[in-house]
Amino acid sequence: MDGEQSLTEKYELFGCIQCGRCSAGCPISLNSALNIRKLIREVTVHQVLEPIYEQGELWDCTTCSICSLRCPRGLKPHEVLISIRSILAEEGNVPATVRDALEETFKHGNPYGQIRSKRFEWATDLKIKNFSQGDRAEILYFVGCAPSYDPRLQEVSRALVKTFTQAEVNFGILGNEENCCGNEIRRMGEEGLFEMLRADNIKLFHNHEIRHIVTTSSHCYNTFKNEYKDDSFKAEHYTIFVAELIQKGKLSFSKEIKKVVTYQDPCFLGKQNGVYEEPRFILRSIPGITFVDFERCRERSLCCEGGGGRMWIDASDSGQRLGEVRIREAIALGAEIIATACPFCLLNLEDAVTTIGLADKIQVRDIIELVAEAI
Amino acid sequence: MGRIFVLIEHRKGAIRDITWEMLIKGRELALRSGGELTALLLGYQIRNLAEKLVQRADEVLVVEDEKLSNFNGEIYQRVLSKLISEYKPALTLIGHTSFGMELAGQLELPITTDCIDLCLENGALKAVRQMYTGKVNAEISFIGAPSYIVTVRPDVFPAEGQQTGRGEIKYLSLPIEEIKYKKFIEYIEPAVGEVDITRADILVSVGQGIGDKKNISMIAELSELMGGVLACSRPIVDKKWLPKERQVGLSGKTVKPKLYLAIGISGAFQHISQIKGGHIIAINKDPRAPIFGVADYGIVEDLFKIVPVLTSKLKEIKAG
Repeated sequence: MDGEQSLTEKYELFGCIQCGRCSAGCPISLNSALNIRKLIREVTVHQVLEPIYEQGELWDCTTCSICSLRCPRGLKPHEVLISIRSILAEEGNVPATVRDALEETFKHGNPYGQIRSKRFEWATDLKIKNFSQGDRAEILYFVGCAPSYDPRLQEVSRALVKTFTQAEVNFGILGNEENCCGNEIRRMGEEGLFEMLRADNIKLFHNHEIRHIVTTSSHCYNTFKNEYKDDSFKAEHYTIFVAELIQKGKLSFSKEIKKVVTYQDPCFLGKQNGVYEEPRFILRSIPGITFVDFERCRERSLCCEGGGGRMWIDASDSGQRLGEVRIREAIALGAEIIATACPFCLLNLEDAVTTIGLADKIQVRDIIELVAEAI
Repeated sequence: MGRIFVLIEHRKGAIRDITWEMLIKGRELALRSGGELTALLLGYQIRNLAEKLVQRADEVLVVEDEKLSNFNGEIYQRVLSKLISEYKPALTLIGHTSFGMELAGQLELPITTDCIDLCLENGALKAVRQMYTGKVNAEISFIGAPSYIVTVRPDVFPAEGQQTGRGEIKYLSLPIEEIKYKKFIEYIEPAVGEVDITRADILVSVGQGIGDKKNISMIAELSELMGGVLACSRPIVDKKWLPKERQVGLSGKTVKPKLYLAIGISGAFQHISQIKGGHIIAINKDPRAPIFGVADYGIVEDLFKIVPVLTSKLKEIKAG
């Protein structure tokens, strides 16, 4: 079979020594039947892959990439899984919630099915330069779908705008022309739609002569940086950009936040892009903050379960959500705030806080919200 | 137009709604054209169903055989083809259902499928079906054939109508051969208690604000009094207070009710973005809850004060 041949060949799966470092590090294995080591083995030895495709747990993976990070042979198990999802997507064999998210992205440019003309609504009172209105700026602030539409995440976008304005950054946004970046779309298996979004976005960036992009989300950042393969622009996550503003003295703090703060490394910022220092640097720069790191931090950080399209997937896993595990760990550390730098981490952790009823003990905040509060 | 056949669709001893809908439409056509409406009932131990059908048709033709116990496209096709060639109906109506779709195409007669209307124009039959995902209605005319098949979309015609039959049941004995290719295996039932919140007109949805599992029963009672279906947000499922199938949201279900009553739901975006259409009424004690941003009406108050009042009012109304 061609598909099977190409998976094994494409990802050099005969190089796998079945050591099990991938599955041993897999956060989802705590809750799900997904066994990435076994999956790789099955892909290499089975003549017919159809029974593998039937495994519902294929949709449990958050594509956090720890398996690839831990692989001593340098293989990419999580990419194999994404490829299997794309075979399923090609066949139309995807969960209904994924199908809807993909369709909405195709129709409206965002996976939530929100109207495109309302994308910019959160910022109408903010006097921001808007590329789609003919404005020009040095930096494109790429807001992202969730931070454009979700009222909770709009607070994060507003905090970023406040910070940029304070530091006199010459920035603009794309307004209603902004489109889904496609990071999650690719991970839900819709390679074709991803390529379309990528082509549309690159064209948009070129039209507006954009050279430097700063994103709210670590997911948008990841795909712009690693999957767009276009060197006419530089993409940065806001933590990198803001850390530099602080370092260069362009941003200073006037208020204290007297709290014990820990930090949840977003997988798409940390594991996939090695950005560990900048978020910690920002937090340590804010006066009053006592920073404590999780025991499981940096590349060992526990995934929030929000990546890989999981925001749209009715996962087969059961048991305690990893977000809840994380909140309990943070409380044990004595943290009063768990800070993060990713919209999905924020939502999942905040959900976990309310689910376990600890809202009076701990807050979940985006780093930039703390920055905006302290300037 | 001469005789009009309606193929009765039934499953496990119950007549399906599409049958009544086709009989209503068939009766209308028969009256206009001076034709005769014949119900075809194929099955086993179905005499009680025939009794119900005679009140709606001029004649009920019954073929009873153990081999017809469950729907099987192959046997149905053979029986139906025999009946059509013997009785020569001008028109045979079959439901555009999984049952009908499997069968209708095999009959080797001129066919138009998934029709949303049928009428007579100068004595000739005209069918209406949708094209381009419902953007265009196409009128289909039939050309010179003695017998046509039309499959009818469910839920288009009313199921209730006058009892207009003159009541004649004919039991036919047809030799039914053994068949080779298709075999009935089993009915797969949805899990017990499974509900479909995506099809409910009224959803009464409960969130974190309910506080305790034991309080869910109070919302269930309200929902029942309102003729609604109970739904919830993700935390309620996470706590295993209600099953997953009742969850509204990005990782749950997208719903399109006419009325969505959100009780103790803060209104996270992942939840509210999956309520499409209809009116939203929210009860929440936090005036800053995002649910009020999308609600048509809102009550800022403790749900434990409001729900009992609603429940007792509804009981009063029901008691007349």
